[in-house]
Amino acid sequence: MHDIDGSLSRMRDAWMAGQSARACCPEAWRALADSEAALAALAGVAHETLYRAAPAKPLEPRPLLPPLAAPTLPEETRARFRRIRATQKSSAPIEQELLHLIAARGFCVHPGDWMPGPRDDWAPDLYSPWLDWVRAEATAPHEEELTADTYETWSWGERRLALVRMRESNPSAALAIIEAKAATEPAERRLRLIEILAHKLSETDASFIETLLKDRSDRVAGLARAFLARLGKGDNAEAPEAELADMVELGKTGLINRRTHIAFKPLKTGPQNARRLELLNLVSLAGLARALKASEMQLVEAPPAGEWGAIQAFVNQVALSGSDEVVRTLAGHVVESADLLRCAPVLAQRLSLEERRTLLERILAHDAGGLSVTLAFMGRDLGVAALDAVLASPAFAQVTHCLDTALSKTDNAQPAHGNALLATHLNHLGLILDARGARDLVAKLAERGLSPADPKLDVLYLNAALTTEPQS
Amino acid sequence: MGLTRSLIEAMAPDQSALSAASALLKPAKWPVRARADSLIWGECQGSGANPYRVVADTADHGSKCTCPSRKFPCKHALALMWMYVDNAAAFQPGSIPDWVNDWMGRRRKGAAAPVSTSNDAKSLDVAAATLEARPLDPLAEARRKAASGKRALETRRSVRSATEDLDLWIEDQFRTGLAGFLGELSERCRRIAARLVDAKAAALASRVDEMPSRLLTLPNDGRIDAAIRELGKLALLTRAWRAQPDDPELRREVINSESRDDVLNNADAPRVRSTWEVLGEQITTRRDGLISQSTWLLNTNGGPQRFALLLDFFPASAGRRGGAFVAGESIDAELAFYPACAPLRAVIAARQDAEPGDGAWPAADADPITAHAAQLMAAPWRVETPVLLSAGRLVPEGKLHWWRSDTGIVAPLRTAPPLLGMGAAIDNAFGLWDGARLSLVAARTNWGRLAFDA
Repeated sequence: MHDIDGSLSRMRDAWMAGQSARACCPEAWRALADSEAALAALAGVAHETLYRAAPAKPLEPRPLLPPLAAPTLPEETRARFRRIRATQKSSAPIEQELLHLIAARGFCVHPGDWMPGPRDDWAPDLYSPWLDWVRAEATAPHEEELTADTYETWSWGERRLALVRMRESNPSAALAIIEAKAATEPAERRLRLIEILAHKLSETDASFIETLLKDRSDRVAGLARAFLARLGKGDNAEAPEAELADMVELGKTGLINRRTHIAFKPLKTGPQNARRLELLNLVSLAGLARALKASEMQLVEAPPAGEWGAIQAFVNQVALSGSDEVVRTLAGHVVESADLLRCAPVLAQRLSLEERRTLLERILAHDAGGLSVTLAFMGRDLGVAALDAVLASPAFAQVTHCLDTALSKTDNAQPAHGNALLATHLNHLGLILDARGARDLVAKLAERGLSPADPKLDVLYLNAALTTEPQS
Repeated sequence: MGLTRSLIEAMAPDQSALSAASALLKPAKWPVRARADSLIWGECQGSGANPYRVVADTADHGSKCTCPSRKFPCKHALALMWMYVDNAAAFQPGSIPDWVNDWMGRRRKGAAAPVSTSNDAKSLDVAAATLEARPLDPLAEARRKAASGKRALETRRSVRSATEDLDLWIEDQFRTGLAGFLGELSERCRRIAARLVDAKAAALASRVDEMPSRLLTLPNDGRIDAAIRELGKLALLTRAWRAQPDDPELRREVINSESRDDVLNNADAPRVRSTWEVLGEQITTRRDGLISQSTWLLNTNGGPQRFALLLDFFPASAGRRGGAFVAGESIDAELAFYPACAPLRAVIAARQDAEPGDGAWPAADADPITAHAAQLMAAPWRVETPVLLSAGRLVPEGKLHWWRSDTGIVAPLRTAPPLLGMGAAIDNAFGLWDGARLSLVAARTNWGRLAFDA
């Protein structure tokens, strides 16, 4: 064997250089082979039968991909999920929303159909073990609770999830761990840890948050400022607040029910407008209210008016530093106005699940932009809207208009974007509706002439199938 | 407006399409015929190894077939609609399969065949009558056979000369150095392939033409050994063919393959009836402009391990073609294998309704890769051997990914597997071993079936 090994190596070298390999081939082959090609045939068979590549190091398989807590999609719906993903090139992408809908219904997708990438932090929490696996972070079974001492033995995904749960049941214990360990994490993860404190934020958290004002990450420091502002502990530097107060108007609106009303009239120059936006980002709501000699609540008694960019910045300011009650009040105004509706998603992150669901019907009634605002507002809580609310919405009117236009075409002149628009609208409806509503809507659309086999109905079909309730 | 006979006549591109469609009206040619809402679809066993998938919308008369015909609608679509009009009850109600849904998603609404308003004589009745009345002329048949024999003789002479040229070319590559050969791989292979095409050695020409794509997917340090193997196999093949030019397997490797009918009418073609699992499909665009469609089957009826390959070629200009089967589906079929030392390529002779079985794969050999050595003994010119792999894992190491069996047998993979492959426990896998690299096609894992883009 060893001789053949050496011979094959020398033959290879000879052929590479354009020399005959006859002189260096095994003795027995010379009688068999009458040409270089014949020698190559023998060498080839020897290579294929005697040798097999071996790894340089012993092979160490990766840990098995862990199963998730939720069941995978039923087998009959997997093909539909794959098809929806495959058609994303021709319509607005909905992969994230689709995964949130599936997670909200208590399922996860099969890893053969989708797996998170290492940077997919947006993925629903149930995929946390897969994120750890993809990032090659060790995941060991934990019998003990997460504490500051055991923190390092937990993977990032696991510890973040555990802290989110702990913050719900025992906020001070979660605070203690975050306080002890935040400084050991890199900036991006530090930010994610501090964000956990947003839930059940209280005075108890204030002293730790104050230490973060000088964090080396601007984003962490900014978040700390916003948290302190929510707790009514903003800095007392009055200069920018007074400057901002000079750039807004506080008046009264309503004939009978007089309410305070903040207005952002266009300023004389572009730099002045830019400065106002800068100050709205810098100053807390409490600081602005103080400078205007009003309460925070008075600033949102009526919908803000005036220049659109400033309104957006004001809503951001409320979302960042307003109290829960102020946020709820402003959200109530925003969802009643088609103009202000675009600001609703910013406030949604401060609202509870129940509060968002309560506002859903009102948002649907005003969202004429293909439900994109509604989707952003509901975030991860998809698949809950009742069909009646959808049927009364402008979004459904758009669908029927698109559908009627499509069905009225009898030649090839139908523009491709018309189909894509209809597909986008139907996809969004499929993400918003509850399972029963999705099923009933398919039937209604079929009655209007859309083929039940049309793949544009895929998201609605998938939604309707993702239920454990008996179908009546 | 629903489908009618007159509408089909109007849609047909010409009378010959209708005549060809009339030859496809036998239910035996259609193992699958189904309908849902306004859609009808079916699978037609045409002249290829893989069946054609045909779908039509009875509401707007649009249709699609996976055959490479340039006629629209093709004879298969016309036959499907014709059968539906004649006997709709023969179409079983069914749930819409994925490939029909795919077509629905891609098609342009209203893109049905134009209905001709001309007075061209196109008639279903005439088409059916033409088929029945086609007479056989013994004299013409004898003349055809004589001409065919003469052509075969000329082809053999021409191919012999071309294989000798190929031998010289191979010697030249060694004489001028393989370093230079690898540097000009595409150009040199293309030139000799063109010579082989001119000499009617079409199969050999394709193999030489595809050599660069096989070699260039390997890392640099693996190309020289692979080139030696490829050139050695070519030399073996040309010598074997010159020694036995009538051998059907060698003729297939050098000149061209028998037609489906030739295989079905060949008493020497082995026939195996079994339940076959579709392991996977490989679709490759070749340098000569053809697309090869390979469907791999494995018997799952409890008998010994047996693979079958349904191989078709069609022009790339015919457009994207859907798969003939879904990976993982089972078919109960009698296959006719092309005669060979180790029969592998086959056509479907007959299909029956699939009977549910346990679907278990046969047991894998202790070291499945030694099967390749056994195949080399029978047909040393073959490039790849299908192998069934036992339980194991896929492991990244260095620049390569490896298959490692639970018993410690390892083999390097040709391409990186999907991410899930590294996190799954593999119960069984199927792949193609070329003596140096393993191309995985499918695996059964703790996460279910896993497909690889081989």
